[in-house]
Amino acid sequence: MIVSRRAVLRIGGLALAVPAWSAFAGETVEIHMVGDAHGGAVRFAPRGLRVEPVATVVWRNADTGNAHTSTAFHPGNMDHPLRIPADAKPWNSDYLLPGETFSVTFTVPGVYDYFCIPHERAGMVGRIVVASPGIPPPIAAKGMEDMFPPVKEIMTLGMVDP
Amino acid sequence: MKLASIAIAAGLAISSPALAAPTVDQAPPPAPFQKVSSLVKLPDFIPGIGGLYVDPSTLPAGPFLAYDHDGKLVSTIYMIPIADLQANKSFDDLPVPGGAVDHVDIYFNAGHPGVEVPHAHVVLWHVPASSEGLVAK
Repeated sequence: MIVSRRAVLRIGGLALAVPAWSAFAGETVEIHMVGDAHGGAVRFAPRGLRVEPVATVVWRNADTGNAHTSTAFHPGNMDHPLRIPADAKPWNSDYLLPGETFSVTFTVPGVYDYFCIPHERAGMVGRIVVASPGIPPPIAAKGMEDMFPPVKEIMTLGMVDP
Repeated sequence: MKLASIAIAAGLAISSPALAAPTVDQAPPPAPFQKVSSLVKLPDFIPGIGGLYVDPSTLPAGPFLAYDHDGKLVSTIYMIPIADLQANKSFDDLPVPGGAVDHVDIYFNAGHPGVEVPHAHVVLWHVPASSEGLVAK
């Protein structure tokens, strides 16, 4: 029997940050920023994640040779289009060196798209869907949809990686 | 007497190491090179590359100078944006301040602070391939 990290969490009853899974309310999950040895392939792992409000997401730079950011698609972030709920607060981690972390607590349901500043043009983007079970999937901002994991897939699987 | 003083001064100038032309063999290289991690947020020592220096006026191409943990020059790196190559831009007469080249690596990099676009790293190694481990981590 394979015991999932979530099962371990529930058995232990600990509020630990773990490599991403879908997160229940009050939990903390991690998204890793990863890259290969030459820096040619970089990404968020996982790229798509579902969490319940209120949950905290921690981004950890697990890439030993590069700096990364977690930056919300928002006009306040380098004039990017709005791709988070209008009433949600945007974020920008600034550059994280290897091993550094940054966290955001999500309270407003909706679809949150974000990117890595130096790697957006290399396709390093991610999507977080904040939704409670049984609630219809929220609608993502229009356009650019092929850059992100589909909301429906994230809702079904909890996480999408790669 | 005056001639003798000039001769002594000239002799000192020739023999004094302090007045020898600066080289890039040992970190830190002379100005205008600056440590990359002091210019942008990158680790002081990048695994696979080493401690990196660049003259900011030469960005993005460089040359970047990479040093091992003992401060010895191991490679000279040029960072060439893919979009510039596709736009038929050429990079001519790039200086090679680091001396003899043992071998060359060329690989794709998705970007990093300082060169935030997909680009190619052209690495002129000044040490044998068997010594690349000096900057592995």
